[in-house]
This record gives sequence, C-alpha cells and structure tokens, in this order.
Amino acid sequence: MRTSTDPFQALADPGRRAILMLLSQDKQSINSIAGNFDISRPAVSKHVKVLYEAGLILIKDSGRERYCELNAAGFDEVKQWLGYFDKFWNNKLQNLENLLNQKHNTK
Amino acid sequence: MKRDLVIKWYFPHSPDKVWECLTSPELVNQWLMKNDFKPVVGHKFQFHSKPLPKMGWDGIVYCEVLEVVPNQKLVYTWKGGPRPGVIGLDTLLTWTLEPDGEGTRMVLEHSGFKGFKNMIASMFMENGWKKGIARRMGKVLNEMP
Repeated sequence: MRTSTDPFQALADPGRRAILMLLSQDKQSINSIAGNFDISRPAVSKHVKVLYEAGLILIKDSGRERYCELNAAGFDEVKQWLGYFDKFWNNKLQNLENLLNQKHNTK
Repeated sequence: MKRDLVIKWYFPHSPDKVWECLTSPELVNQWLMKNDFKPVVGHKFQFHSKPLPKMGWDGIVYCEVLEVVPNQKLVYTWKGGPRPGVIGLDTLLTWTLEPDGEGTRMVLEHSGFKGFKNMIASMFMENGWKKGIARRMGKVLNEMP
C-alpha cells in the first residue's frame, strides 16, 4: 500500500472528508463522486489521488470505470495515532513517578 | 469511540513536589521531553523528541501556556504535525493536582481529538448519508483553491 501522504493531512481537508463520507456509504466511480459534488472530474481526481496516496482509499478498475472504496487498513493508522497517546502518557507518567521517588525517597 | 484521554495517577509525594516536576524545564526534560517551558500564561514553547514519520509527526510539539494555578492546575496547548507550519494534531493538555493524605492525585486530560474521532465514528457508524450534506460539501470543494 502506498502511504506517501500523511493521512492526517489528507483528512484535514473538509472536501476530502466529504468524499470519504460518501464512500462510507458505498464504493463509487470517480464520475459518480464528481456527480455528487457538482465539481469537475479533474478536481475530484486530484482529491482521490491524495486520499489514495494517504492509504485511505483503494482504487479498482472495473470495465471502463475506476471505482474508489474506503481502505480500512488506512484508518487503522489514524486510530493507532489516537491510541498512541494512551501508551505514551502512561509511559511518561511512570517516568515522572520514578523521578519523584528518586528525588524525594532517599531516606 | 474512545473519548478524550484521561489518565489518573497517584504519587506518594506532596503537590508542590509534583508541581515542581511539571514546571521545571530541567525536570520535565528528565521524564517527558526536551523543552523550553515557563509557567507563565501566554508563554509559547516547544517539546523536542524523536520524529515519528509514520505517525506524521516531525518530533516537535508546539505549545502555549493557557492557565497556571501553582500546585493545582496547569493547562497548555499541544500541537504537532509532519513538518513546520503543518498542524495535524491540535490538542490540549490539562494537569490537575489534588492533595490526598501525604500524597497527590493527579489527573491528566489530553483533549481535542474530537474532530478526528467524530469524523471516523460518523463514517463508520452513522447510518444514512444525509442529503444536502453532499451539496454543502460540494460548495466547500468548489471554493477551494
């Protein structure tokens, strides 16, 4: 999977979030995404490329159309980022406790 | 979906000792990260750590002190991203201390993940793509450079 773009950067854009919301309903061709948003196909293609490079969607060719669908694995990374701080702080607060004990428990 | 992060901790030390560890840059460096913190409201400072490119983080946390109540409460922003000027994470840290017998109860709240969480939650859990949203979002798309 390509992840040359930071998924958070891809998600930071409301327009791209709108495309993801649409894809959360069902896979869509690029033409049908463009139809849903009243914008040009090239503009949609640009956003789709960013989402693809961030690993948030998959693109599959079917006949003449290219279909986009959500890539659950890409969202795992985003969820992982949220879970990251849980571990991070528990680790750091343990450091803090050790430091306090070191500083003040030298009876 | 998980709500904002809340971690509770008990230290067998008085609040002023814990406070010192939260507010002295040298001590914070020892248990958290390299920093140029000052316990002064409005002070802007940074934490520096090892970059995590996979997480879209360049290793710098940008912060601003919002509230300082000695031995009781400390609040600062906690922002970071893949490179300078690009903020992917815009969050808030709230530290509260409360004496408990000989020791201190500390609560750390790391909040502000809501935007991302709500978005992810709504994408995967909400039923029904409401009509109208697509049009409004289309407008947003159109207005983009």
